[in-house]
Amino acid sequence: MRVLLVDDETELASALAERLELRGIEAQWVGDGEAAIKLVKAEPFDLAVLDMKMPKIDGLALKAHLEAIRPTMKFIFLTGYGSQKDYEAISCQVGEICYLVKPVDIQVLIQRMHDLLDEPQGEG
Amino acid sequence: MSILDPMAETGLRFFGSTSASISHELKNALAIIKENAGLLNDYVNLMDRGTSIDPARFQTIAKRIEDQARRADNHIRTLNRFAHMVDEATKTADLNELVALLVELFQRPAAMQQVTLKLQLAQTPPLVETAPYLLLTALGRCLAFALQAVPPGQILQVGLLARSHEILICFDLLTGLSNLAPDSFPTVAEHALFAALKVTYTAEAAAQRISLAIAQR
Repeated sequence: MRVLLVDDETELASALAERLELRGIEAQWVGDGEAAIKLVKAEPFDLAVLDMKMPKIDGLALKAHLEAIRPTMKFIFLTGYGSQKDYEAISCQVGEICYLVKPVDIQVLIQRMHDLLDEPQGEG
Repeated sequence: MSILDPMAETGLRFFGSTSASISHELKNALAIIKENAGLLNDYVNLMDRGTSIDPARFQTIAKRIEDQARRADNHIRTLNRFAHMVDEATKTADLNELVALLVELFQRPAAMQQVTLKLQLAQTPPLVETAPYLLLTALGRCLAFALQAVPPGQILQVGLLARSHEILICFDLLTGLSNLAPDSFPTVAEHALFAALKVTYTAEAAAQRISLAIAQR
């Protein structure tokens, strides 16, 4: 599994990527949408974990860009908010959603990744 | 239809949006602390299983946690100062302190628009007799509008200018001010705020500035 984490809180993205790597998941991180688009154009990823609120390109807009490049990519959204309004905004625009509120439980995050990729957990 | 008058509703909305913005920042800091604490735990577990870990790795992670705890503490202090603005309906307020708080409260909205806020305080603290929370709300509405007039990557300067009997709170370097619809600001609610505070709002597209003038004590 190759995962890309995108969050303007770079210390969060880097720590999460490191924890995923320690669990056998190949993970890279970037701090904004433009860097993510550039990287996804250059390399394939199975899944992206996107912060909802970022400068330049927000999570939903970034999903559309990345999907256009890699149509089979799956997405998980992270948000610092947890309001019903935000959840509804994502629900409307994303369809089959996976939405986690920060701070995330690493095991829950990994389980969601496996669920989305239809892989049994443990295969990395 | 709201049961509040427009001025009260503006004040309440400003309280809500500002609290949400600061709490979002707090949540980010706490998420980084949690993830790095988890990372420390991961490395301790690896060591328990016989893997050698460079002590410098622990120091780096501990430093990150310390930095984020400091960041969270700063946000809590800012939120606390903001919450206490409603303690007194009117009082003698130091505009340097009020404008500094305003700039701290708007760090995240500005960052989301990739705008840097630059603060220019008066050398002598300008004291005014005012309703501090209402004035902060009025300044917040001005700054939110001013942010729309600054392109990404540029600076918005918030400064204080002393005149003979009044203080001017200026929002400068609004390079896109002339592109905004002149009737988009102030709205009825802001007009009511400015009138209640006895402040004068001025927009000068050529000078790339909006300002509020307030009588000095």
